[in-house]
Amino acid sequence: MKQVNALQLSGINKSFDGFQALTDAHFTACWGEVHALLGENGAGKSSLMNIAAGLYAPETGSLMVDDNLVRLSGPRDASRYQIGMVHQHFKLVKPFTVAQNILLGLPAEPGSYRTRLQALEQQISAKAQELGFVLDPRQPVEQLSIAEQQRVEILKVLLAGARILILDEPTAVLTDQEAERLLSTVQTFAQQGAAVVLVTHKMADVKRFADRVTVMRGGKTIQTLNPQHVSVDELVRLTVGESAQAGYTPGPPAGPLRLQVRELRSPTGSGPLAGVNLSLHAGQIYGIAGVGGNGQGELANALMGLPQPTEGEIHLESFGDLRGASAEQRRELRIACIPADRYGAALAGSLSVVENFAIGQVHGGRYGSFWRLLGTRMRSDAAAAVQAFDVQGVRSLEQNAALLSGGNAQKLVIAREFSRDPQLVVVHSPSRGLDVRATQAVHARLRAARDSGAAVLVISEDLDEVLTLADRIGVMNSGRIVAEFEHPADRQAIGKAMVSHD
Amino acid sequence: MTDTTLPQPTVSTRQPLFGRRYTLETRQQMAMHWQALVIGLALLFGLAICALILVGAGVPAQELLNEFVVQTLFDAQNLRAVLFQAAPMIMVGLAGCMAFRARFWNLGLEGQMIWGAIGATAISLFDIGPHALRLPLMMLTAMLCAMLWTLTPVLLKLHLKVNEIISTLMLNYIAANFLLHLVYGSWKDPRDNFPYSPPLQSFERLPDFLAGYNVAILMALVITAITLWFVGISRAGLYLRFVDANPRVAGAVGVPVRKMIVATVLLSGALAGLAGFVVTAGQEGRLTQSFYQGYGFSGILIAFLARNNPVAATVVALLIALLFVAGRNLQVFYQIPFSMVQLIQAILVICVASSDFFIRHRMRRIQAGDC
Repeated sequence: MKQVNALQLSGINKSFDGFQALTDAHFTACWGEVHALLGENGAGKSSLMNIAAGLYAPETGSLMVDDNLVRLSGPRDASRYQIGMVHQHFKLVKPFTVAQNILLGLPAEPGSYRTRLQALEQQISAKAQELGFVLDPRQPVEQLSIAEQQRVEILKVLLAGARILILDEPTAVLTDQEAERLLSTVQTFAQQGAAVVLVTHKMADVKRFADRVTVMRGGKTIQTLNPQHVSVDELVRLTVGESAQAGYTPGPPAGPLRLQVRELRSPTGSGPLAGVNLSLHAGQIYGIAGVGGNGQGELANALMGLPQPTEGEIHLESFGDLRGASAEQRRELRIACIPADRYGAALAGSLSVVENFAIGQVHGGRYGSFWRLLGTRMRSDAAAAVQAFDVQGVRSLEQNAALLSGGNAQKLVIAREFSRDPQLVVVHSPSRGLDVRATQAVHARLRAARDSGAAVLVISEDLDEVLTLADRIGVMNSGRIVAEFEHPADRQAIGKAMVSHD
Repeated sequence: MTDTTLPQPTVSTRQPLFGRRYTLETRQQMAMHWQALVIGLALLFGLAICALILVGAGVPAQELLNEFVVQTLFDAQNLRAVLFQAAPMIMVGLAGCMAFRARFWNLGLEGQMIWGAIGATAISLFDIGPHALRLPLMMLTAMLCAMLWTLTPVLLKLHLKVNEIISTLMLNYIAANFLLHLVYGSWKDPRDNFPYSPPLQSFERLPDFLAGYNVAILMALVITAITLWFVGISRAGLYLRFVDANPRVAGAVGVPVRKMIVATVLLSGALAGLAGFVVTAGQEGRLTQSFYQGYGFSGILIAFLARNNPVAATVVALLIALLFVAGRNLQVFYQIPFSMVQLIQAILVICVASSDFFIRHRMRRIQAGDC
């Protein structure tokens, strides 16, 4: 008899509101292996795994656990079959302790709350030790770092009895060191006989930690292979359909000083900013690297003019302190902002592509006077921008912006913000949630802005992104810029500055 | 991969029903004509329930259509009554639409109507301005007074985050009691003992533009056109759609959010004030103590049924007016209490509100035998 498969999905079809997310997808994970599911954003990786975890019901196709046909009616049903999924966005109750969060996910058993909680706290410590990390079960989740929260999520599914562990983009939010620890932990877990599915788009993780890899593209499973037998280039070719390669490209020499941030801090007790100092020149990309949660979001908000109480100064040459500038003034100063939270701060999801594009230039009167909007011109400009910035998935210009995928939504934001020939560009996590090709397109746009003389500030938690883009790198740690590097910078040194606490 | 790359369906799987499975998915958008169809079907369903209730209450089934449609629309007197009733309804309905589009829950339509009426009556009482300009002056004063009354809650909301639902609602009581103070006190008609102001003079009353058809309905249609321009054609309309969709995004992309909210809410107040003026100078002919009652609820209801669309609001307001006039006739001929009209209104609202479910979700059958 051949080896028993842990999880087998075959012939899966699934569509959402007319959009075919999965087409005849096949996937098999065996016991004892780390099986990577590799693909670009929108390739259908998460959809396929959500079906395995019982969150979505497929339209056609079958799901087998241990070579037995099963039908899942929900995540709880999936956990009965020992399937557990750790989602990219954690589902934890912030003010609850680690143990309380884990208890929430367990099925009801006899015993009082107090005794169960106490027993669970011991189990958590034991399990954590077994996996090789330390976690205080009595600590509230809101006090934990992102990496620790992820461990809580993993313990949650393991203590619910999962033997088939699905991790959706687990390393996306971690530093290099944290990611490595996590992946070796799950590798050990697989070696003990469990099955681990690693959903990712990082080639390096696949090469180093996966026993097998299944590549997905456009809702189809393309091929399953052994990552040791193929090159990274080959994997990239399989995922994107073409060879993708891009690195740092230098621009023209930096121009005059354009932006100076001086001693920018949050008012006492109201935020993490603790005296940020940096200078940005025209024709330069300044990258801010750092582990998430060290004040990047607050710095971005302050620079982008979003509500954020600050002290100190953001000095723009030939204007003055940007903190007091009105929306109108910021517009006239040609400041382009690309926030991390696209649908929270840049696009109105329930409005059309045209409206979301045209709002960028409507103020100046390009689309008619106050009394009358020129709908035709708005549409033709939007159509041209969609074309020029390669925004895909626009079936109609009147469709809601929320229907665009992450990368295309980002391209739409960039199309709008860059339509005004910006002199200052502030970008936060520009490629978060974007696939290789969309990321390259976004990076190319940022470089083009620099080359035409704009000062570009890139805040990103993805070190690779900062390294490929930035001419100058500042490392943000505990609300301050703790170190600065000129390109080419030493990756190790930057990593050290990111995590050191002094 | 993030979840934002795909439409996010939430699927709740039903147990097999006769061997079939249904899934419920949220849908991102639905074409306008389909939405209209769904709402239309919901209205029909609601009307069918109302018809059953009316038949149960003693209206002969064969007379229903006659009473509601034939008698009210094809009888000149009743048609005049419908249009007469519709004018202030349209105005408060549009007032609701405007405020709700700015995400401002204006429950103070009645208080704003009262101040409109007080302002207009004051011009008459104190004999301000030449006779020829009296009506326009009354109209402007009505709008101005109502706007001032609306300014407080909107500023409180923007600067101190005071919940406008509470503030506008409470201000209604202040306005209503001040109205009572006037009509029982210094503004009471000295000629008799009833709580109302002296009657307006003939040149202070809204004239008919055709025999029996009051000019108020024309004013209402002009206002419909103005609001339509405001939300659909002007730049402010685009701004307002962003404020409505997501105020944070609106601020980030350079929409003057505060200005838009203040301007739109003041417009809402002005329209409600105008409705107060129309009732006073058109229907009642003087300031009375309870002329405003019911309009606040109707305005909210009209805006809700019309999904804040000015044209739809006008149509809905006409239908509600028709319901009112037909209800009065039913009262006379079949001794059916007027509260039946409110019941019918409520049923229609519930049906349309429920239809939202079908606009937001899609129910699909999954073939038996699949996973």
